[in-house]
Amino acid sequence: MAEEEEYDYTKIPPTGSVEGIAAGAPEDSPRIGVYVCHCGINIKMVVDVEDVTRYAASLPNVVVARHYIFMCSDPGQDLIRKDLAEGRVNRVIVASCSPRMHEPTFRKTCSDSGLNPFYYEMANIREHCSWPHGDFHKEATEKAKELVRSAVARSALLEPLEEKLVDVKPEALVIGGGVTGMYAALDIANGGYKVHLVEKKPSIGGHVAQLSRTFPTLERVASLLTPRMIEVGAHPNIDLMTCSEVEEIGGYIGNFDVKVKRKPRYIDMEKCKDCTPCIEACPVKDIPDEFNEGLSTRSAIYIPFPFAVPPAYTIDAEHCLLLKEGKCGDATLETIKEGKAVPPCMAACPGVIDFEQKDEIEEFTAGTIIVATGYDLVDPGVSAEYKYGVYPNVITSMEFERLLSPGGPTGGKIELNGKEPKDIMFISCVGSRNKQVGNEYCSRVCCMYLAKQAYLAKEQLPDADVKVAFQDVRAFGKGFEEFYGDVKTEGVFYMRGLPGEIYKKPGSDRVVVRGENTFIGEPYEQEADLVVLGMGLAPNKDVKSIISMLKLSTSVDGFLMEAHPKLRPVDTATDGIFIAGCCASPKDITDSIAQGKATASGSLLYLVQGMAKIEPAISQIDEEICIGCARCVDVCPYGALELDEVRHVMTVNEAVCKGCGGCNSICPSGAATMKHYRDRQVYAQIEALTEITDVGMLAELESAATAAVAAEASAGAADTGSEAGEGEGAETEAVPGAE
Amino acid sequence: MGTLYEDMVAYGGEVFGKEHMETLRECVQCGKCTGGCPSGRNTAFRTRKLFQMALTDMREEIFNSPELWFCSTCYTCYERCPKGVKTTDLIRTIRNLAAKEGHMSVPHRMIGVYVLKTSHAVPLGPAQMELRKAVGLDEMAPTAQKYKDQLEQVQTIFKTTGYDAMIDFDWDTMNLKGMDKGGKK
Amino acid sequence: MAAKAETEGEVEEGKAGISTEQMTRNTMESIKSTVEDSLLEKIEEKEVDVAPEALVIGGGIAGMYAALDIADAGFKVHLVERLPSIGGHMAQLDKTFPTLDCSACILTPRLVDVGAHPNINLMSCSEVIGVEGSVGNFKVKVLKHAKYVDEATCTGCMMCEEACRLTGRFPNEFDLGLMKRAPIYRPFPFAIPAAYSIDAGTCLMLKKGKCGKATLESTIEAVKKVERGEEITKDEAPPCVLACGPNCIHHDMKDETVELNVGGIIVATGYDIIPPETMPEYKYGVYPHVINGLEFERYSSASGPTMGKMNVAGMPEPKDAVFLSCVGSRNKQVGYEYCSRVCCMYLAKQAHLLQEKVPSCNISVLYQDVRAFGKDFEEFYTRVKGEGLSYRRGLAAEIYKKPGSDRVIVRAEDTMLGEPIELEADLVVLGVGLKPSEGMDKLLEMLGVALTPDNFAKEAHPKFRPVDTDVPGVFVTGCAQGPKDIPDSVAQAKGAAGALLSLLARGKATIKPSVAEMEEALCIGSNTLKEMAAKIEEGA
Repeated sequence: MAEEEEYDYTKIPPTGSVEGIAAGAPEDSPRIGVYVCHCGINIKMVVDVEDVTRYAASLPNVVVARHYIFMCSDPGQDLIRKDLAEGRVNRVIVASCSPRMHEPTFRKTCSDSGLNPFYYEMANIREHCSWPHGDFHKEATEKAKELVRSAVARSALLEPLEEKLVDVKPEALVIGGGVTGMYAALDIANGGYKVHLVEKKPSIGGHVAQLSRTFPTLERVASLLTPRMIEVGAHPNIDLMTCSEVEEIGGYIGNFDVKVKRKPRYIDMEKCKDCTPCIEACPVKDIPDEFNEGLSTRSAIYIPFPFAVPPAYTIDAEHCLLLKEGKCGDATLETIKEGKAVPPCMAACPGVIDFEQKDEIEEFTAGTIIVATGYDLVDPGVSAEYKYGVYPNVITSMEFERLLSPGGPTGGKIELNGKEPKDIMFISCVGSRNKQVGNEYCSRVCCMYLAKQAYLAKEQLPDADVKVAFQDVRAFGKGFEEFYGDVKTEGVFYMRGLPGEIYKKPGSDRVVVRGENTFIGEPYEQEADLVVLGMGLAPNKDVKSIISMLKLSTSVDGFLMEAHPKLRPVDTATDGIFIAGCCASPKDITDSIAQGKATASGSLLYLVQGMAKIEPAISQIDEEICIGCARCVDVCPYGALELDEVRHVMTVNEAVCKGCGGCNSICPSGAATMKHYRDRQVYAQIEALTEITDVGMLAELESAATAAVAAEASAGAADTGSEAGEGEGAETEAVPGAE
Repeated sequence: MGTLYEDMVAYGGEVFGKEHMETLRECVQCGKCTGGCPSGRNTAFRTRKLFQMALTDMREEIFNSPELWFCSTCYTCYERCPKGVKTTDLIRTIRNLAAKEGHMSVPHRMIGVYVLKTSHAVPLGPAQMELRKAVGLDEMAPTAQKYKDQLEQVQTIFKTTGYDAMIDFDWDTMNLKGMDKGGKK
Repeated sequence: MAAKAETEGEVEEGKAGISTEQMTRNTMESIKSTVEDSLLEKIEEKEVDVAPEALVIGGGIAGMYAALDIADAGFKVHLVERLPSIGGHMAQLDKTFPTLDCSACILTPRLVDVGAHPNINLMSCSEVIGVEGSVGNFKVKVLKHAKYVDEATCTGCMMCEEACRLTGRFPNEFDLGLMKRAPIYRPFPFAIPAAYSIDAGTCLMLKKGKCGKATLESTIEAVKKVERGEEITKDEAPPCVLACGPNCIHHDMKDETVELNVGGIIVATGYDIIPPETMPEYKYGVYPHVINGLEFERYSSASGPTMGKMNVAGMPEPKDAVFLSCVGSRNKQVGYEYCSRVCCMYLAKQAHLLQEKVPSCNISVLYQDVRAFGKDFEEFYTRVKGEGLSYRRGLAAEIYKKPGSDRVIVRAEDTMLGEPIELEADLVVLGVGLKPSEGMDKLLEMLGVALTPDNFAKEAHPKFRPVDTDVPGVFVTGCAQGPKDIPDSVAQAKGAAGALLSLLARGKATIKPSVAEMEEALCIGSNTLKEMAAKIEEGA
């Protein structure tokens, strides 16, 4: 083959047009317009878009093919609008990026010009072509042509569909009563809509309630948080459900059917006066207090912290003797009913405690859902070399936070076993930025909270030697850098280098932290009385049931995934369901509140309008063919199919159905098909891609491909490279007849 | 004697003010100082590292290092430090503290020798005297270098303050103790 | 729970040296006076109606998203933008971190949405010149500068720009002067509004009253003639009018002032870059090899001066490149003590893009901390280092010309090695920081909103009220509040929208009762303190 000229994409003009072979076709036939995008240079850098345009014009039913540098921009969309307005085309194909990017954009372009948006088809020649095959210009151009050919084949068979509207109930569900959930709830409630706020623990406030002061202003958390907690608790529009968990969520945007299990407190909340005799009377006193990170103990009847909202006690069913073992002292449930013997708590406080309380299920319908379930601290055991749990001198940052809190186990005094530490070492990045332990991400808040804790330590113990071992100081926010400077001026010493290990100083109760001071290039052995581990933030592990209920996605790092990391940080793939705060990724109070308020905005959009659109590309049952065998019900993950007993045919709940196609594949009679993805449309695409028209041959190919994959797997093939431009293009099996 | 930092704040603070000295703690070790140091370009002097050593109280290592005296006090680092650390003034303070304990580089002491011998750090030499004659001035400038009784008074000041002892000056040889005629110690 | 009992008999001293006894007494006094006050007069909270319209000042990504959310909820939004097009700085970027989405790709659909939204009244080339009133009813005066082109009929065909006598003469602001435009222009191809406008400062007709043989009078008359279907000659009108098919150029358009009545205001005026000239040791403007981060974006963009090829200032593709962190930021000496939050990541992204475009280039990034704090940031940073870039810890001290060569040298200390280094380079990219948009301080003064010490807008509370200001009904978002990247700007913008929607949806706002009241009978009606003082003296 002769040497070809090297492809120079800069020679391609910003736009161009070619008349299609169907230019003279009658008006009532499919008249397709193909628009090939350069996507700046993303596509044309690899794919010869001019060549693809010429090729598109040669395909059946194509009346015009154009190419342009940015199809999604206004001038790009104008090309389509003009062709539609002049009646030149009645089907539109854009060969550009992924439908996930711009399908909604171009559908709107079509509908705004009077064309049913489902006459719009997309060929992904970026994510599926130019990006993965960056080094293979010729092959990528050929592939782009094939993708366009496939889109053209489908386009001719598309049907118009109508978008339906559903009512949106003027109520919202917020899952999680930490600072993010609280602020989301407040904005919606202040807007005049009812909010159901479900919190698993006995009180709202989340982890922020455990903090002593916030960075960088060093204000007391209690004075900032409590007024908002009270506002939430007292708000006429907020239905606060604590000690509650979401059990089931069904339904769809605008009409989410929610079942919440309200666990019993065994206390009559109206009567509880928040005093202490019951605690003193309770014989169980050695339960590690979760709020104080286990540094103190509590009774089985307790209030999590003094400023809890609701301000009422709870009985911990897992530790209460009466509930766990059936007997407390002489009292049993029977003796209580008979009025004979009562447990000490009831004796100390008659008429308030009620062991007859049971789980209650509350059901309601919500228009939108906000998930704000927050974080857990990474388990300090992941970095075993720091000896957490082995030496009492090593504590976590949250434990230190409780030591700093006036309401904490030491009344705000920094001490271990009653002694004030003389040498304190803070260690950054424990459990974060660490591939070894499986958390590659940065936890974002530790640099700043360690600076704050170090500052407060130095403030309380001016004679103590306070050091921070770090690798980068991520003081990126408003006032952060200035605060970092102040912290060092106070005398906190920043030493660059993450410690390698901690061991006991022989013959002493102090420990030694060994690391390298990378600024001097010398190892050090720093003695310390107290070592505080800057623990990272991990996704809340109890949120798995919510994830499956709502069909949420998680990112590689385990946090909940947003619809688009840049431009849709609080939306999810499902309309009407939002995520905010640390459940999406670690962040501080300011950024959490901003996100909480952002989800309020997203929700208010629907609540104020009172309606939402639903996707029409979903299942459709041909009632003439359907035999009512109901096999489809078994495969539907969304519960969208129901048997109409009277007419013995299946019916589809159009708002719940997500168009996954499961029913289509299993239906023995072919009654269940996907609107916008009819079998004939899909087969047309496959035929066009492979240029094989014999359906039987397709089946043969399928089994050949399956066998090949199995052979490769057993041979232990390893190559998985698929990054844009990296490695070779995916190995394709030699397919007979398809070239 | 406290930590080196504390001594610097106390001693240098008397001349520059405490806040001026306390800026040392704001150092983030960015390295811009070393990067622009003309001296460090040609010697082993690392400005940034010196500050880290000061903050980690490596008093002896600093006092015993010849590099401490390689700073030419050009003030480039002072002008450029993003955190406003008063670099040059801090170095001068450290040098003073070191000198008090008997650590002072020979070339710096030699300046002292010139002062004690002539009252000038840079005495007038033959070339300067020629120039003065050429423009119609007296060969010698009217300083203590010319007037011996004034010079004696200068020397008295230095004897009284103990400067001569600090630089280890020998009044017999009018040179540093242990120094031979060729200037070698 | 374990509340520690107070130590008896010990008088603890608080920070200000006040004993606990005294503090308790102070608190008791305070409670007493509050109770007394409340008994004096029954104060009622006033409720006012909230006009169902909003004002968003600034059409960058934050302003756009705030406007879209409010508009989608069904309320009218006035979006005021100073430049001829919305899109802000995001329109100038090539790809965004950490996803490497092309900025224009994710921005343009939103531009179109804003431009086409029935509820959004988009006013570009406009400025807010006066604000009165309070929450629920702000009376805002907006000055709409004349565009000299009828926005409704202009098709954006580009013929006027091509025909203009001064085409290609003036630096195009969007490309930071790296490309040229005519006085009649559109800032970038995908601008919204898509219409052209005339820059009065450079247009001959507007500055001098004539262009070629045509005068202002003859031009206005010529336009009328064309409307009537008559022919015109070269001498009657400037080339732009002659070339304009829809006849939409009107040199006699005037500035217009409109008055709006809105329920709430969102300030989203964005940022400017810190001028690299603040660090003269980096020789920006002296050597052509040294460019700033925004200029890199334009060079890297497919729609930029070099169509995406890295031929900076006409030089061949670089063999060695160095990226400098913290230019202007984290620097007390030049007056910007704060961290600009986005530079660590944008430098990593730009270094990656350069490596992709010029695989043979040796790239170093000089840093002091790598602030890769957000979602997927750390992973991106790790990936970028894995691609072979050299990350060296140490801020650059100075840049100078390599003697006898046309390359430059960047001198720094590699603090990890403890050794000074000299890196030769063909290209140096300065990681400039962000400062508030010019004129934001004057705008905030109009609104009664203060500045924080870093000169960004002051929010009601830095932690717990990031989008509210001290003025009820006025919100601040995006980089106007502090530097931040696109996802954080969008989240904050939606947050401000949520806060404002809360107000609009409820339809009513509560006015705080503790305000100053005028006793008219006592007022002596003076205008200034000086006059008052004079009057008092008179009477004395």
